[in-house]
Amino acid sequence: MSTTLSNINKQFGKFQALQDIDLTINEGEFLAILGPSGCGKTTLLRLLAGFESPTNGTIEIDQKEVANARKVTPPEQRNVSMVFQSFALWPHLNVREHIQFAMDHHRFVDLSWKEKGKIAERIEDVLHTVGLGDFEKRMPGELSGGQKQRVSLARAIAPEPKLLLMDEPLSNLDAELRMEMRHEIQKLHRLTKASILYVTHDQGEALAMADRIVVMNGGEIEQIGTPEEIYYHPVTPFVATFVGKANLFKGTWDECLFQHQGTGVTWEDYGISQQLKEKNLFPIRPEQIHLSKPVPSENQILGKVITRQFQGKEYHYSIEIDGTVIVAHLPLQEKFEIGETIAITPQFQTAKQAEMIL
Amino acid sequence: MNKDKNYESNQGEMRSRAISSVFFHPMLYKMIAIMLVGIFFVIPILRLVLMSFIGDDGFGLQFYQDILTDNRTWQVLQNTLFVVFGSTIISLLLGTAFAWIVAYTDIRLKSIVQLFIFLPFIIPSYITSLAWVQFFGPAGLLENIFDSLSIPITGWNLYSMSGIIFVMGISHFPLVYLFTVNVFRQIPREMELAARVSGAGRWMSFSKIVFPMALPGIVGGSFIAFLGGLDNFGIPAFLGTPANISVLSTYIYQKVIGFGTSAFNEAAVLSVILGVIAIIGISLQWLVLRKSKRIETMKVDHQPRYYLGKKKGIVESVIWLFFIMTSIFPLLSMVMTSFLKAYGLDFVWENFSLENYAYILTRDSTLDAIMTSVKLAGVTTIIGIVAGTVFAYFRVRKANTATKLMENAITIPYALPGTVLALAMIFTWMEPIPGWNPGIYGSAAILYIAYITRFLVLQVRSGITAFQQVDIEVEEAARINGTNGFGKWKKIMVPLIAPGILSGAMLVFLSALTELTVSSLLYSSESETIGVSILSFQQSGYTLYSTAFSSLIVVLIIAGYFILFAGQKAIRKRKVRSEK
Repeated sequence: MSTTLSNINKQFGKFQALQDIDLTINEGEFLAILGPSGCGKTTLLRLLAGFESPTNGTIEIDQKEVANARKVTPPEQRNVSMVFQSFALWPHLNVREHIQFAMDHHRFVDLSWKEKGKIAERIEDVLHTVGLGDFEKRMPGELSGGQKQRVSLARAIAPEPKLLLMDEPLSNLDAELRMEMRHEIQKLHRLTKASILYVTHDQGEALAMADRIVVMNGGEIEQIGTPEEIYYHPVTPFVATFVGKANLFKGTWDECLFQHQGTGVTWEDYGISQQLKEKNLFPIRPEQIHLSKPVPSENQILGKVITRQFQGKEYHYSIEIDGTVIVAHLPLQEKFEIGETIAITPQFQTAKQAEMIL
Repeated sequence: MNKDKNYESNQGEMRSRAISSVFFHPMLYKMIAIMLVGIFFVIPILRLVLMSFIGDDGFGLQFYQDILTDNRTWQVLQNTLFVVFGSTIISLLLGTAFAWIVAYTDIRLKSIVQLFIFLPFIIPSYITSLAWVQFFGPAGLLENIFDSLSIPITGWNLYSMSGIIFVMGISHFPLVYLFTVNVFRQIPREMELAARVSGAGRWMSFSKIVFPMALPGIVGGSFIAFLGGLDNFGIPAFLGTPANISVLSTYIYQKVIGFGTSAFNEAAVLSVILGVIAIIGISLQWLVLRKSKRIETMKVDHQPRYYLGKKKGIVESVIWLFFIMTSIFPLLSMVMTSFLKAYGLDFVWENFSLENYAYILTRDSTLDAIMTSVKLAGVTTIIGIVAGTVFAYFRVRKANTATKLMENAITIPYALPGTVLALAMIFTWMEPIPGWNPGIYGSAAILYIAYITRFLVLQVRSGITAFQQVDIEVEEAARINGTNGFGKWKKIMVPLIAPGILSGAMLVFLSALTELTVSSLLYSSESETIGVSILSFQQSGYTLYSTAFSSLIVVLIIAGYFILFAGQKAIRKRKVRSEK
């Protein structure tokens, strides 16, 4: 079963929330939609759930059209399920009743369960899968944030939907719990084999869990690719800065040689995408930067250290170069003082060297 | 196999959709709803305004000229302003003081104090008037007590301007309290602490920081008290009529029942004047509140901020003395009077009997009045629950200009003074289509229509609050799990909104049960309501019967509230609050 969005546009009044979205979610795939707030990612999710209708374009789930500009299949008739940002637990039902509700009402629950009276068994199963076996009688008000999240997940997976939608499910949890829940969600994905569409603004979550990532900005898709592709080979300045937190240098490209604006210092290509080259940009992530004492005789990019933050395994520097500020992460052995003038170079000089380091 | 199921269910959906698109098009419902709101809520007001211009000689300002050149009108207007401003000032002072004390200090028994604050709100103001007369008035309980101590005093003649102002001020101060107490609680205590560490003293930090921040609540509550004063008919009817003091609401009533040649037209003119004053009040409130910065999103803080220490006993004594003098003793006097064999007798055991109760409970007309009011209140409540909840749902989930305007239209009959509404009802339903009189006016039907029009907004408001508290995602979670119909409503929505809807329904029921203003103008011989019946006892001098009937009603109301609280507790027991 796959899900396909073709040429989807969505307007709210005059505001264009989504523009010409073409996307396929493959069977069993974990697809993350990554972007800043207001980029249209939640609208996209709500279109798939059926809570919104497209202005134009079509959506197909399992080779059946569920939405076009004129007709929309409502959410309750789609073979999907959803984990909500606020968890959306029903305050008057206990943990077990949440899953019971889904089993009773979801239209795509396997009939053989109902016929053989195996619903109770299934509920037990799901409760254990998410680790809530001992909490089935608890009310939502008596659960911690992480437990609420587990109830929300259990309710969503119980009917075995073919497509599972997740709307920033971890954003209401604290940092430590978020890391733990990443593992849980990956485990559930392996167990259920459902396609997952996971919306998030946290590039860490997307990179860690997804098979493929769709980076969105301003209602449009910027890049689709595996986490590695997105991270190492961004094709747009937005993806480079949003996902890899890259610093962008301006200059001119001549084949494999980048000449900095103003200084004329040249850096070599390490596998930068054609699109960025056409924009005459040189992206470099904080951990790819090398800092050193300037050598007076050489033509180098020089900057001044503004701040230094100790982060345990490395130092984070912010460095001012001609009025713009770049960020560099360096190992502890190399320590520079605030106010010091330093030379900035890439850690690697050629594409080959870069591949070895990566 | 899942695929097959998917196919089937969608086939069914397509078929039902094809039929529904013809008969149940959503636009059709919308048009019907808009039409109903127009007919019941907007047209009556238009017809009232029209009536003030159109007489036998056609369209003109004749009636305005007659009314505005009549000295009596100006006397009535002056009375009205005195009463309304005077009572509003009393409400403002009492309401703010009580709100501050309950919100910030550590007095004990706050929930019972709050209950007593709401008492004047729960008991109809004409019963309060009656009770005050029995306590403070000449030959009242107070005079009796002092007499027995051999201290001769003369009771306070409540049939006077001061009487009207005080009783009204006491009746409406809960409104100011209601608007202010949570505003006080929402002001973060850090605001005041910041003022204190910046060098301001207690009084300075209150007057410069806390008071200005609470102003929206205080102003909002005062305006509601002001509108309530304009609207109130019971107090001036009970206390003003014997002393020949008229305010606009009672003057309109007198015009209508006076049946002069142009009585209806002149009443319409007076109603327009009253309506205009009310609208000026509403607009002023809107303007003032619009400019103020809202602090609605802040957390309500129930912890006390001032520990009164040694002064606590004094403050509590003053509060309880106030309740004893304004609520407990007046009501007690009324109940005691209701047991007297004859009016004016001393309150001693030999003079008490159950005769008055026996009389009102065996007389057909009072039993009919109780039946009429119960039926009216019941029907109004049930229609309110259905129509009000459905409308509230669309108002919250499909907020748009149309539903917003409809909500405003539904609010009008409640915001306007009751006499104005009653008159508008007469003009509209006497001949719904000019030349055709189906006999609605003159039967109980007009009371049903008027009550539903007047009280629907209460149900709509509580419905809106109830639905707003149900996060949209909670409802979407039910839909994504396969149900948007019976299952969603039965298992998810109804349990969540029921407490809010029920308390709204109770408010509608009790308001309708003891309603006086509208029914005093619209009742007919076979549809006397409780309020009308008590008023006619009182105006014909049967004080004993009116006190007995009122005592009965007070007991019923208090019982009603107990049932409500018990019901809500039972519902809440099941529902454990989820902190989100």
